[in-house]
Amino acid sequence: MEDQIAELTAQIAALQGSGGVTNTMFAETFYYLTIPLMIIIHAGFLMYEMGASRLKNVLSSGVKNILAFAFMIPTFYFFGWWVYWGFPTGLTFSAGPMGISGAEYASAIALGWGDAAQYMGPNIADQASGVFFGAFALFAATTASIMSGAVIERIQTVGFVILAIVLGSFAWVVAAAWGWHADGWLVNKWGVHDFGAAGLVHAVAGFFALGVLINLGPRIGKFNDDGTANHIAGHNMPLTVAGLMLIIVGFFGFLMACVIVPGEAWSWFGDKPATIYGTPITLSSLAFNILMAVAGGIIGSWVLTRDPFWMMSGALAGIISTASGLDIYFPGITFIIAFSAGIILKPCANWLENRGIDDAVGAVTVHGTIGLYGVVMLGIFGAGFPALQGAAGDAPTISLIGQIIGAAVFFLLGFVPGYVVSYILKMMGMLRIPAGAEIAGMDEVKVPAHGYPEGIPAPGVNLAPGE
Amino acid sequence: MFPYSEASWSVVDGAMFMGWGGSLPAISTLVAAIICVAVLVYGQKTEAKKTRQFEK
Repeated sequence: MEDQIAELTAQIAALQGSGGVTNTMFAETFYYLTIPLMIIIHAGFLMYEMGASRLKNVLSSGVKNILAFAFMIPTFYFFGWWVYWGFPTGLTFSAGPMGISGAEYASAIALGWGDAAQYMGPNIADQASGVFFGAFALFAATTASIMSGAVIERIQTVGFVILAIVLGSFAWVVAAAWGWHADGWLVNKWGVHDFGAAGLVHAVAGFFALGVLINLGPRIGKFNDDGTANHIAGHNMPLTVAGLMLIIVGFFGFLMACVIVPGEAWSWFGDKPATIYGTPITLSSLAFNILMAVAGGIIGSWVLTRDPFWMMSGALAGIISTASGLDIYFPGITFIIAFSAGIILKPCANWLENRGIDDAVGAVTVHGTIGLYGVVMLGIFGAGFPALQGAAGDAPTISLIGQIIGAAVFFLLGFVPGYVVSYILKMMGMLRIPAGAEIAGMDEVKVPAHGYPEGIPAPGVNLAPGE
Repeated sequence: MFPYSEASWSVVDGAMFMGWGGSLPAISTLVAAIICVAVLVYGQKTEAKKTRQFEK
């Protein structure tokens, strides 16, 4: 009898061990797969940006976008990852209530030297740090890509890369530490909730781009002497629209990476997935709400514009406008908010253009304005939801005031560094290319390759017999 | 609009979206459906007006 009990105990222990290995492999694979999915966002931005450029700038726009991606990864490794763990309690660098933040904690897990280096390289006992780092590095790359499209056809490459590093490896990371971390002061003090990063990724990047655009100035020929704007069409609208669709595909990976899987030592729950705040969520919530958001945004934009560029921008706006609450919105509400975002998108872009801002792809509006709109909308619809785990009365709750404060902080964290750093670069002569080079075309000036060496044939209208 | 009387996730064991248990889900679904139909009606009307300009 005792032998049988011992044997059963051993079998149970083996089963538990096996289940643990399976769960660990699942968790690692889950985040690992979000990385190539988020690279699809970058591929989409690359297509979108190149399509929105004129023939004379198409490759230089691509070079700039690719280089931003390349510089995001090492700089996020060097210091961006440390910033996320070091900054949550503000500029005190002290540990927060959950004990997973502060300078000491960050220096123990997020530096590429000393004892911390064990978590920053291959380690058979750590199957989480690398995939988490990878997912966050791709969030960083997304912010750089958002800014990249707005400034095409006149920015200097190195000046742009410096701006991308400041945005991707610092500015948005501070926003994430403050508003997207269980120790973040915006979360603990104000109950700020931004599950899908509408504010801390999109709005920060969008308003960073606005700060840069003010100093960069419009493309030659964009505005007439009387202040009216000319439309500067990109060379390939189908490429741009397909790129936007790819960004939508990639966002399923982006939002998937915002979920904390269960059952690991670092998980919030043993039996259910959680948001980064430790509140419950399911991937089914995301499936319902992302799809309804994409649809609502497209339909709203179609009503007003009938333009495929704005329709697919509307799809993005649909996701961004609801991203803060994708974990708790009901799909009907998601659709209505996304539809409203699609409706207001083009008028907001026109408003900005009428003030002399040449945002070549509408990034400030799609990501900045709509990002803040989404953060505030959650304050209206989601007020009263607990923002963290904890007993009633102890855990902060989502509120309109809290979301407005969060939106204001995200705006400042984007706009101020964007404006200041681009101003310094302007003073140093590193922001804008000379007018002659802009007129000649940046491909001619600095890219040793041709986008379309045989030109693009224009055979005329393709009529069928009888037409 | 937390759908439970106690503002804590520890009491949640099922539906956790805003409006659960009230009329909000039904109202929002109805409004979303009305938007879809209204957009199609408006879209047909405005597109027909444009295409009529090209009638031979």
